[in-house]
Amino acid sequence: MAVLELRNLTHCYGEKTANRVVAVNHVSLRIEPGELLGVIGHTGSGKSTLIQHFNGLLKPTAGEVLLDGENIHKDKQTLRASRFRVGLCFQYPEYQLFEETVRRDIAFGPTNMNLPPEEIEGRVVRAAQFVGLSDELLEKSPFDLSGGEKRRAAIAGVMAMEPEILVLDEPTAGLDPRGREKILQMIADYRRQTGSTVILVSHSMEDIARLATRALVMRHGEAVLCGTVDEVFSHGEELFSMGLDVPAVTKVFLALKQKGVPVRTDIYTNEQGQAEILRLLRREGRA
Amino acid sequence: MIQLKNVSYTYENDEQNSPAVCDVTMDVRRGEFLAVLGHNGSGKSTLAKLFNAILIPTKGQVLVDGMDTADEDKVWEIRRKVGMVFQNPDNQIVATIVEDDVAFGPENLGVPPKEIRARVDEALKAVGMYAYRHQEPHKLSGGQKQRVAVAGIIAMRTDCIVFDESTAMIDPQGRREVMDTILRLNRELGITVVLITHFMEEAVQADRVIVMDSGRIAAAGKPETVFADEAFLERTGLELPPAAKLASMLRKSGVDLPKNILTPESCAQALLAAAQKAGVV
Repeated sequence: MAVLELRNLTHCYGEKTANRVVAVNHVSLRIEPGELLGVIGHTGSGKSTLIQHFNGLLKPTAGEVLLDGENIHKDKQTLRASRFRVGLCFQYPEYQLFEETVRRDIAFGPTNMNLPPEEIEGRVVRAAQFVGLSDELLEKSPFDLSGGEKRRAAIAGVMAMEPEILVLDEPTAGLDPRGREKILQMIADYRRQTGSTVILVSHSMEDIARLATRALVMRHGEAVLCGTVDEVFSHGEELFSMGLDVPAVTKVFLALKQKGVPVRTDIYTNEQGQAEILRLLRREGRA
Repeated sequence: MIQLKNVSYTYENDEQNSPAVCDVTMDVRRGEFLAVLGHNGSGKSTLAKLFNAILIPTKGQVLVDGMDTADEDKVWEIRRKVGMVFQNPDNQIVATIVEDDVAFGPENLGVPPKEIRARVDEALKAVGMYAYRHQEPHKLSGGQKQRVAVAGIIAMRTDCIVFDESTAMIDPQGRREVMDTILRLNRELGITVVLITHFMEEAVQADRVIVMDSGRIAAAGKPETVFADEAFLERTGLELPPAAKLASMLRKSGVDLPKNILTPESCAQALLAAAQKAGVV
């Protein structure tokens, strides 16, 4: 059974005003436990509006959001529980750090869940381990950390609530290659070790190709493509026309094909590309 | 155009008192497209802010067209020569209508109104935003906002534009729009461009690349040269551009490929040659 389901979700901003904008338009989606769903789309495509429905921060204008089959807006308790079951990490989450120490900042979420102190402490330690923040850093002020560390501290704050579904809105934006790699690794580890479902919004087609089990493409508030990474990236032309992209390695193979080289074009990671070229060259027994 | 002589800069509130930029000597040549790479904290943004007197060196000297940035009387003239576009598109727009925003710079320079009109139109056309001149900036996409910010600088007739991670916060299409604009300004209008970036695939389009590490210049040269040394890139916290990464992986498994592969197009070209040589096409 789907852990999270959207049924005909529509969200309008400025309903009953002259500036009414339909930000999400009749989106239906089933997210299975343990999967990593990548969400891509142009700025203004409705991605951020969509994900804010997952834990009830926004209420649908029409349609339903179901967590384990239950409408999250059923009553106050269900809605409150959804805030803890679905952890939402916004873009540039480091702007939301506010406590005196990193430890207290990470503990903020679990503290709000009214957990016993030992449990909170345990969660803070586990979350800090996931994101690779040392004990020493936990005692520092969040504002004394480097950019990449701040980002990881903020993500740890969401992880410490141990949500069943972790939603991250562009967690690597603005980071350098090493910082990006660390965050992606950390997300993959978290998912593997906790079995959580992860929803990752990203502008990087490379990251989606590498990590996601399924991808959702949003355009003008609609879910225009949804399927395995292979299925979605096989619509290269459509993605280009939406202002999106395919991974650079896919471009290499599209260009090769155009030059008349008999290669597959459903190549989305460097590893797949390497294997495909070796297959091509070794057909004649040499490389 | 810009000359740095043994420049160091230490932030006042830095406890360890360690310089963010340390004894850097370099120049930005008139008309070139220079990319500056480096991991977070390598000193590249500090370096950028030294180029137009936002920061004044603690040691050494920065000369813009021969004017010392430490000379307070010259600050305005220096900023008119070297403009800067920052990371966050939302922090750079000051007016409520696109064309007013572009006019803000020249107005402050005391340019006559008639001339401002001409400059604003010309600048908006140069970045492909003329059709949006009467729009409200907050309704534009990130890429469009950045292009308006660029137009604001062009309208001041700057010779050089420094982009400090100006594509970091925008989506792929926005990045393409800004990169296309940058290339056009450089190639067609001869504007000197300094691009600070984390995206290797942007840096490969530059004439020259500088890699910063611990406040010093760790490498400088043509993109083909700088990106040829994978071990060096890894040490400095960078990575190969994606197409170059594929080429490197293939080389390691015994495929004979040239060293200068940086873009998907050049990678496909080299692979076509390899396939022809192997007799499979």
